[in-house]
Amino acid sequence: MPLLAADLRRDPGIRRYPMLAYALVPLAALVLQAWLTGVLAPFAWFDLPLVVTVYFALDRRSPMQGTIMGAAMGLFQDALSHHAIGVNGIAKTVTGFLAASIGVRIDVENRTIRLVMNFLLSLLSSGLVVFVTRVLLGLDLEWRWFTALFTAIGNSIIALVLFPLLDRLEIRD
Amino acid sequence: MESFFTRYRNLVVLLVILLAQIIGLAVQVRRTPDGRGALDAGDGSGVRLIRYWAQALVSPPERIIHSSKLGSVGLWQNYVDLRNVRRQNQELQKTIDRLRLEQAALLEDARQGQRLQALVKFQEKYIYKTVAAQAIGSSGSEQSRVFYIDKGSADGIARDDAAITADGIVGKVRDVFPHSSQVLAIDDQSSGAGVILETTRVRGILRGNANGQPQIVDILADNRIKKGENVLTAGGDEIFPRGLPVGVVDRVVNDPERDGFINILITPAAHLDRLDEVLIITSTEPRFNPEQQQDLATSEAEKGAEAAAILKQEQEQQKASQIMAERLPGLIDPMLPPDQQPLLDSSNPAPVAHPPQSLHPDRFTPGAGSTPGNDSEPATPDANAKPATDSAAKQTKQPAPKPAQSTKPPQAGAKPGTPQTKQPQTNKPGGND
Repeated sequence: MPLLAADLRRDPGIRRYPMLAYALVPLAALVLQAWLTGVLAPFAWFDLPLVVTVYFALDRRSPMQGTIMGAAMGLFQDALSHHAIGVNGIAKTVTGFLAASIGVRIDVENRTIRLVMNFLLSLLSSGLVVFVTRVLLGLDLEWRWFTALFTAIGNSIIALVLFPLLDRLEIRD
Repeated sequence: MESFFTRYRNLVVLLVILLAQIIGLAVQVRRTPDGRGALDAGDGSGVRLIRYWAQALVSPPERIIHSSKLGSVGLWQNYVDLRNVRRQNQELQKTIDRLRLEQAALLEDARQGQRLQALVKFQEKYIYKTVAAQAIGSSGSEQSRVFYIDKGSADGIARDDAAITADGIVGKVRDVFPHSSQVLAIDDQSSGAGVILETTRVRGILRGNANGQPQIVDILADNRIKKGENVLTAGGDEIFPRGLPVGVVDRVVNDPERDGFINILITPAAHLDRLDEVLIITSTEPRFNPEQQQDLATSEAEKGAEAAAILKQEQEQQKASQIMAERLPGLIDPMLPPDQQPLLDSSNPAPVAHPPQSLHPDRFTPGAGSTPGNDSEPATPDANAKPATDSAAKQTKQPAPKPAQSTKPPQAGAKPGTPQTKQPQTNKPGGND
C-alpha cells in the first residue's frame, strides 16, 4: 500500500499549474474532442480527455487528484453521449488513479515512458468501457479491437506533442 | 480509525467515486425480461440535467468554432502562411494571404449558399413542416454516433423528430435543449428505423453496426436482394415519413448469430460523416399551398356528390327489388286476403310447409282426429264408417291451403274423429241396424 499513500510525502518532483489551466485545459480537450470527432470521422482515433487525464495524473503524482480528474472527464464525456452516464466515468477514474499511482515510481520526463504509458492506459480504458457496458450493465455493444488499438496509438502520438506544450504551463519556482 | 482513512484515503476516494458511479448506472439501466440490460429511452430528470449542463458548457465554444470557420486545418495553414510571410516580402505575402483567405471564405460561402439553396428547394417541395438546422458538434465518441444541432425547443423541435437532408434520412432527435438538440444518427448501434426495399418490398429495421455502417437486421434469407437496390423509409415507426430515401444496398451478409437470417449492409444516401445542414421535421401535418388546398376542397365536394349519387342509385335498386318481389308468383296466395299474405306476415317469416294430402288416409293420418293411444277420444260407433259426402270431408280440413286439395275425393276408411264424422250417413253391411 505504499503506492496508494504516495502523496503523503512531499515530492519535490510534483508539478504545479495555475488554477486556470486545471479548468481550461480539460474543457478545451472536451470541446476539441467533440468537434474533431465530427470533422475527422470516421478516423477520429484519439481520446483527448484521456490524454489530458493521464498528463495531469502523471505529473501531479496524486492518485486522489488523478481519480477525481478522470471521473470528471469521463462523466463529462458520458453526458455528451447518449450512453448511460458513468461508463466512461468508471473507466477514466480507474485510469487516472493508476496513472497517478504509477507516476510516483517512474520518470515521467522520459518520452518513451510517456508514450508507453499512454498506449497501455488507453487500452485499459477501452477495455474498461467494454467491461462496464457488457458485464456490469448487460448492454449490447459491438467492439472492434483494432479501433481500440488505433486509438491507443493515436493517444500516444498526441501525447508526444501535447505533453511538452502543457509542460510550459507549469509554475516554476 | 482516523489513521486508516488518512493512510488509505486515495483508495477510499477511489472506491467511493466508483461506487457512486455504479449506483448511478444502476439507476439508469433496467433489466429486461430476457435478463439483458436496457438503457431507458428517456433520461431521468437528474440525468437530463447533467446532460444539459455538459451540453451548455461545450456548445458555446463549438458554436464559435463553427461560425468563425476557424478549423484546425485553417489554423495550421495560417501558421504556415505566417512563417512564409516572415521570410518573404511581408506586404506582398500579406496581400496574397488576405486574398487567399477571402477566396477560401467566398468559396466556402458559395458552397454553403449552394447547399442552402438545394435545401430550400427541397424544403419547398416537401409537404411537411420542417426547421433547418446546422450540425455544430458531436459526442466525441465513436460508440455514440450522435451530433448536436443549433436548434432546440425554442425553435419548435421536439423529441423523436426526424432529421433529414435532401439526400436522405439522417437520424432522429434524441434530446432537446432550449437552443440545441442531440440527434441520434441512423448509423448508431442503438438507433432504429423502419425501412423497406424498393423492389423486393422486404421490410426490416435499420440500425448501425460497430463499423458505423447502417444495416438492416433480422431479415430472412432472400436471394432476390441485390446490390444497388434502393432502400426507403417504411413509415411504420411514426418518426420518419414513408418513402424517404435511406440508401442503397451495399452487400448482404449472413447473420453470424442466427442461421437462415441475413443482414443487409446499406450505403446511406445522406453523407453522415459530413453533415452541415439538416432539416428537422417538426410536424407531420401536410403543409399545402392555396392551390393545393383548393384542389383538395374540390375533390372533397366531388366526393360528396358522388356519394349522394351512389345513395340515390341504391334507393332505386331497393325500390325495384321490392316491386319485383311483389310480382313473384310464389309469394302471393290468391286464396288469402291481402292483409294475410305470407309476404306481409312479419311474425312468421318462414311459414311451415304442410305435408301433401295422403292418398289412403288412416287413423295415423294427420288431422284424422285422434292419435294412436289417445283413449280419451270418444270412440265412434262404427270404426269403419265412411264420410258420406265431400262436404263432410271438406269440413275436416281447416282451412284448405290450396284449391287443388279441396277437389280430392273423400278417402275411405278415415276415422271419424270429429262430430261431423260421428254422424253416419250410410250403413255398411253388418252395421248396427
